[in-house]
Amino acid sequence: MFGYYVRLAVRSFRRAPGLTALMVMAIAVGIGVCVVSLTVFHAMSGNPIWWKNDRLFAVTMDSYDPVLPANPIHPELPPEQLTHRDAMYLRASKIPERSVVMYRSTGVLVANGTRSTPLSASTRITTTDFFKMFDVPFEYGGAWGKAADETLDPVIVLSDKTNAKLFGGANSVGRTVLWNDHEFRIIGVLAPWHPRPRYYDLNNGSFEPPEDSYMPWVAGPGLKQVSAGSTNCWKSEKMITYEDFLNSECVWIQMWVELPDATSRARMQTLLDSYWAHERGAGRFPRPRNNRLTKVDQWLVEQGVVPNDNRVLVGLAFAFLAVCLINTVGLLLAKFLNAAPTAGIRRALGASRRALFAQHLVEVGAIAMAGAALGLAIGALGLYAVRILYTTNDPNGGGYQELAHFDATSIVWAALLAVVAALVAGLYPAWRIGRVEPAVYLKNQ
Amino acid sequence: MNLAIRPILSALVRNRTGAILVALQIAIALAVLVNAVFMVKQRVEKIGRPTGLDVENIFVVASTGFARDFDHSAALHEDLAYVRGIPGVIGAIATNAVPLSGGGMASGITPRPGGSNSGYPFEWGDGNYFEVDEQGLKALGARLVEGRYFRADEIQPAPSNPGEAGFPPGVIVTRAYAAKLFPDGHALGRTVYDFLSRPAKIIGILDTLHGSWPSLDHPDRVYLIPRLPTAPRAIYLIRTEPGRRDAIMRQVEEHLSASNARRAIRWVRSLADFKAESYLRDHNMGIFLITVTTLLLAISALGIFGLATFNVNTRTRQIGTRRAVGARRFDIVSYFMTENWLITSCGVLLGCVLALGVGYWLSQQYKLPRLDLYYLIGGVLGLWVLGLLAAWQPARRAARISPAVATRTV
Repeated sequence: MFGYYVRLAVRSFRRAPGLTALMVMAIAVGIGVCVVSLTVFHAMSGNPIWWKNDRLFAVTMDSYDPVLPANPIHPELPPEQLTHRDAMYLRASKIPERSVVMYRSTGVLVANGTRSTPLSASTRITTTDFFKMFDVPFEYGGAWGKAADETLDPVIVLSDKTNAKLFGGANSVGRTVLWNDHEFRIIGVLAPWHPRPRYYDLNNGSFEPPEDSYMPWVAGPGLKQVSAGSTNCWKSEKMITYEDFLNSECVWIQMWVELPDATSRARMQTLLDSYWAHERGAGRFPRPRNNRLTKVDQWLVEQGVVPNDNRVLVGLAFAFLAVCLINTVGLLLAKFLNAAPTAGIRRALGASRRALFAQHLVEVGAIAMAGAALGLAIGALGLYAVRILYTTNDPNGGGYQELAHFDATSIVWAALLAVVAALVAGLYPAWRIGRVEPAVYLKNQ
Repeated sequence: MNLAIRPILSALVRNRTGAILVALQIAIALAVLVNAVFMVKQRVEKIGRPTGLDVENIFVVASTGFARDFDHSAALHEDLAYVRGIPGVIGAIATNAVPLSGGGMASGITPRPGGSNSGYPFEWGDGNYFEVDEQGLKALGARLVEGRYFRADEIQPAPSNPGEAGFPPGVIVTRAYAAKLFPDGHALGRTVYDFLSRPAKIIGILDTLHGSWPSLDHPDRVYLIPRLPTAPRAIYLIRTEPGRRDAIMRQVEEHLSASNARRAIRWVRSLADFKAESYLRDHNMGIFLITVTTLLLAISALGIFGLATFNVNTRTRQIGTRRAVGARRFDIVSYFMTENWLITSCGVLLGCVLALGVGYWLSQQYKLPRLDLYYLIGGVLGLWVLGLLAAWQPARRAARISPAVATRTV
């Protein structure tokens, strides 16, 4: 029976090729636009470390200005970074299984003993737990030991790209580089790694690639390195020396902790609150108590990683698909009712309503499938166009346009939308044609 | 015409499904069209705001000294002397940040002492500052509207660390920042204070100058400090004669990369590049909105056309009969056009409600400005015209149906 319906459908398409093409195009364009907006939206709103969502927490405390909140759009949120003194106190806690304090800095990197041109590079000044906590993959070597977090041991971990630039991708562990004219020994080289969004530090663009190198915490303040991310100061306090800056109320350090269970979470929260109370007694923390441990997924929402524009575009895409489907319903209805005399004769010859319904649904299904296939092609083309639109001359860029990649999600979306399209557009016309009264058409002939 | 509407209405009511579908399409199309055009207009205005900078003829060089024996002040002197000596360079300065780039420095100033305790309300981005020397105006392409510019002897030397930087005796502010600091309109000659309550006089006022953060509502609350940038970094901002930017850019990059082994040239880029990148999302949002809206209108027009064609096809005999009993071609055309106009109007009516609803929701949800009603009126007229155009060809075809059709069986 199915084969017969398919043959009927093909015949029907041949009878009105223009109309059929119009319907396929409408569905295809609708699905294509949706695939583009959903693929980008999906890539932006993803949680790149979902498997640890219940364990990783951003630590924030509202140490900010009593008058001007850290985030004017969301005054209820504490600043996204900590002061140096708070970070130093909290990192000493043994409650978290792992904890990381860190910031991004920039400098100049030279492969020692070579005549290569100095490389302008970024570095993440962090504690060793960073690599285990965020599941960072190594190509060669590994992370530094706990001891290097406490006493200055000039070791450095390079990203795969930096290693390729300086050493042509060879195993460079044990060789030395100069960071701002200070010698560092390479202890590890990362495998390619680019979490999107870069949830652990959303300064400098949420989708930009991670840093070019990593060095132990003490090398940061030890070499008086300043942050290349945002440093926000609100208090009128004298800052002449680097030590003044470290003791100031400026927020510039990111902190994350790994808390495996509810007990440790509760204990960490208690620690934050009791520390807050103690410091407030000493005249700090002028704002109401607002100490937070935030999971990754919530962190990404609070920090507004997905731009509102992208939400608007998803809405727009669905409005567009709706118009395309309404259009198709209208055209299908017109087409089916145009062929109502034939349907009437088939009914008179004994075809049941269900049979007519099935026959027309096959026709609709074929149109929807063709539309989805063409829509997928339009979607791929659209994503390509988006990538071109987001290509910039920024040498450190390369974050955003990478999101617009045709992938498995796109195909799933297209398939899903095709089914929805077929059901929405086809059900009513197919049902309606099944309701024709055979007698009317027989008389007329 | 009045006579014609009743039969059209009754025919419509009897065959309402198709008409409802077209009206629905028109409603959604109107809601999308009006809001999209409104949003595009905002983006275009945002991108087109005057920046106070000669964007097209400026390029920027980022230099970082990294050697331990790097002499920052000597390097600044040598580099600026070299760049200023190139024919075609109008002006060059060493500064602390790139305007329009998304990254910069701000330190709010207040009209009374006390810093954050002065009770003066700060907003984000207030007090975005740039360090300049005596060539600042020429290098930025900015225009001074009141007071005077810095003299060469007023330029403070480069601090060796950020804490060493003092507050100069005189600063220059933009007109917008002056108006925020002194709403009475008399800012020139008044005293402002930095976060440590150190005083400075406003010696000049700029027409406008956009700072580092174009995404802010007030990117122009900017002031200039007469000082060389803090060691070991410098941003050279170089303005050339029109048409010579790219050539001079290459020349400068080549020279500076090799002239001093104790520093690295991090990048050399045009200011236009930074501006384009900062506005990339606004620019692309505009393109997406225009593309999807155009497609939407095209699909809607095709839908109207398709349905009108279908209506004409199914009524061939009826039309023939009307023609046979005396209806003129004009009557047939006006019948279909009126029918279509009625459907479009229903859709437009529903679309107005939908457009206002969507506009209100967007303004609430995403803190966008409220929809301007002129856009709605424009959208309504636009869709009426679109509906009539789409129905025109099928109506003309209907009018060409011969009266003889009435006498034939289908």
